[in-house]
Amino acid sequence: MTAARSKLMLLLPAVAVFVLFLVFPILMVLNESFHTFEPGRIGSVEGGPLTLANYEELFQPVYAQYFAQTYVLAICSSAISIIFAFPIAYCIARTEFAWIQKASISAIVGLMFLSSLVRVYALELTFGSVGVLAPLMSIMDINTNSRLYINFVILAGLLQYSIPMSILILIGAIKNLNPRLTEAALSLGASALAAHITVTIPLSIRGIVSAFLVSMTLGVSAFVIPLILGRGRILFISNLIYSRFSEIANYPSGAAISIVMMVLALLLILVMSRLATSLERA
Amino acid sequence: MLSTKERLNADVTVRTKALVGAKPILSKRRVDILLAIAVTAIIAVTALFLLFPVVVTVLMAFDARDYIGPFPPTELSTRWFGKLLEDAYIWAGFRTSLLLAIATTAAAAAMGALAALAISWMSPRWRDFVTTMFLSPLVLPGVIIGFGLLMFFAAFNQVPVFLKLFAGHLIITLPFTIRMTLVGLAGISQTLREAALSLGANERQVFFTVTLPLAKNGIAAGAIFAFAASMDDLTISLFMSDFQTYTLPLALTTLIKSSFDLTIAAAAVALMGLTIVLLIVLDSVLGLERAMGHGTNRIR
Repeated sequence: MTAARSKLMLLLPAVAVFVLFLVFPILMVLNESFHTFEPGRIGSVEGGPLTLANYEELFQPVYAQYFAQTYVLAICSSAISIIFAFPIAYCIARTEFAWIQKASISAIVGLMFLSSLVRVYALELTFGSVGVLAPLMSIMDINTNSRLYINFVILAGLLQYSIPMSILILIGAIKNLNPRLTEAALSLGASALAAHITVTIPLSIRGIVSAFLVSMTLGVSAFVIPLILGRGRILFISNLIYSRFSEIANYPSGAAISIVMMVLALLLILVMSRLATSLERA
Repeated sequence: MLSTKERLNADVTVRTKALVGAKPILSKRRVDILLAIAVTAIIAVTALFLLFPVVVTVLMAFDARDYIGPFPPTELSTRWFGKLLEDAYIWAGFRTSLLLAIATTAAAAAMGALAALAISWMSPRWRDFVTTMFLSPLVLPGVIIGFGLLMFFAAFNQVPVFLKLFAGHLIITLPFTIRMTLVGLAGISQTLREAALSLGANERQVFFTVTLPLAKNGIAAGAIFAFAASMDDLTISLFMSDFQTYTLPLALTTLIKSSFDLTIAAAAVALMGLTIVLLIVLDSVLGLERAMGHGTNRIR
């Protein structure tokens, strides 16, 4: 009995930190989201009546636009990164040269460890309105101040994260496959393309779904990328929440958006992991 | 007279031909060549896309010009690094970030190692549940954690900024230390522990002479992830900081938004150096592949 109790004691510090600094704060956000906002005041009125107004407000088209903006770019970046990452991951996982594998994995891990600000700044310096590619853009008659262009730059920012991440996840998935299965398809007369489409891809579907899920999660909660590359003209949901706090101090509204965003993020994970399990069984 | 093997071969060839048809063989080869070309193109485009911005930043950091001019720079100099060394604003941020990362890493590594040890002794069902709970900050949007902590600390009077930052960073780094320690512990065979116990060691002795020495690489890898995550965090620090105590990423964000000064490029190159050092250490304590197999969910 004492042994079991002393084992649970080891969990205590971590659990205390989680309850105090994660569970409590999120409950406070939930509570705040049901209170009314009084302009000119920081935070809600204490003891005031509870209301759903902050959630009702989110049905206005203005808000739908922020959610659409975030989700469309996140889906695009996830889909593109799978398409680009899969062949690369396959080549790295199946290369005959150990040093190529080691070098490419080190480079990819290096990119992922690189500070997010460094990457965002590098993109700004390259694709920004005064960046090094700006002269080239003006030759090609691309307006670097248009909304469409800014969307593209943000997409590039998301891809800088999601491509390396997807490659690493897919390398793991492909390495777990038996290479003989694809070889069998090839020896039975399938073209390389057909062999991959009918054998390699279906067998690594779980890895593909989890790479998509991780890219999506990254995309929908992105904060730094749209903050800097969006130049204040394109906001993601995260940025909207931050502006509720920093600019107009409307905490209840920010709290309601936070709760909706969190529920959507958790739903996404639930749906995608169900999908992965059912695809694997099929 | 054909041997059985040859007859079998002929049979297979006939069947394969029947299956594929005579004509498609040519187009099949063409499809494969197209596939090879497409894959090569994808690799080249992706490598260019991922590495070009980094190369631009490094070269621009050594640019001798006063403004962001056409690429590549015509003359190189180390003047921006000189300016970086004299920049009090960036240095103050760096000092806070470094102290914060060291404090967070030490606390998160200790707490994470203890928690992972307790988790590794649980039954598989509980183990999965508790691990998922502890890893949840990786999938929760950072803004929500920051916003919640802001409201939490607002309930108290005058909490020092450093303490608020510490609490926020602890939440986002604990998942890494717990997960990596679990990876380290998973490599330890239960028989080793049992052998030590049956030879007369008590639980405590087993822990210090068997478990801890074997798990220390996992703990060290977790500490590296935690350090990198703490040095890198912007979202949570943004909610916790004030104008006096701020972290390096915050200082850099302000500069990126307000100036076109290439001092930031020099700072970025310095941070790249730090990343390389961390990677080398990570590779030597756990091996990059093993570490990344279990640490890929770096979600911000």
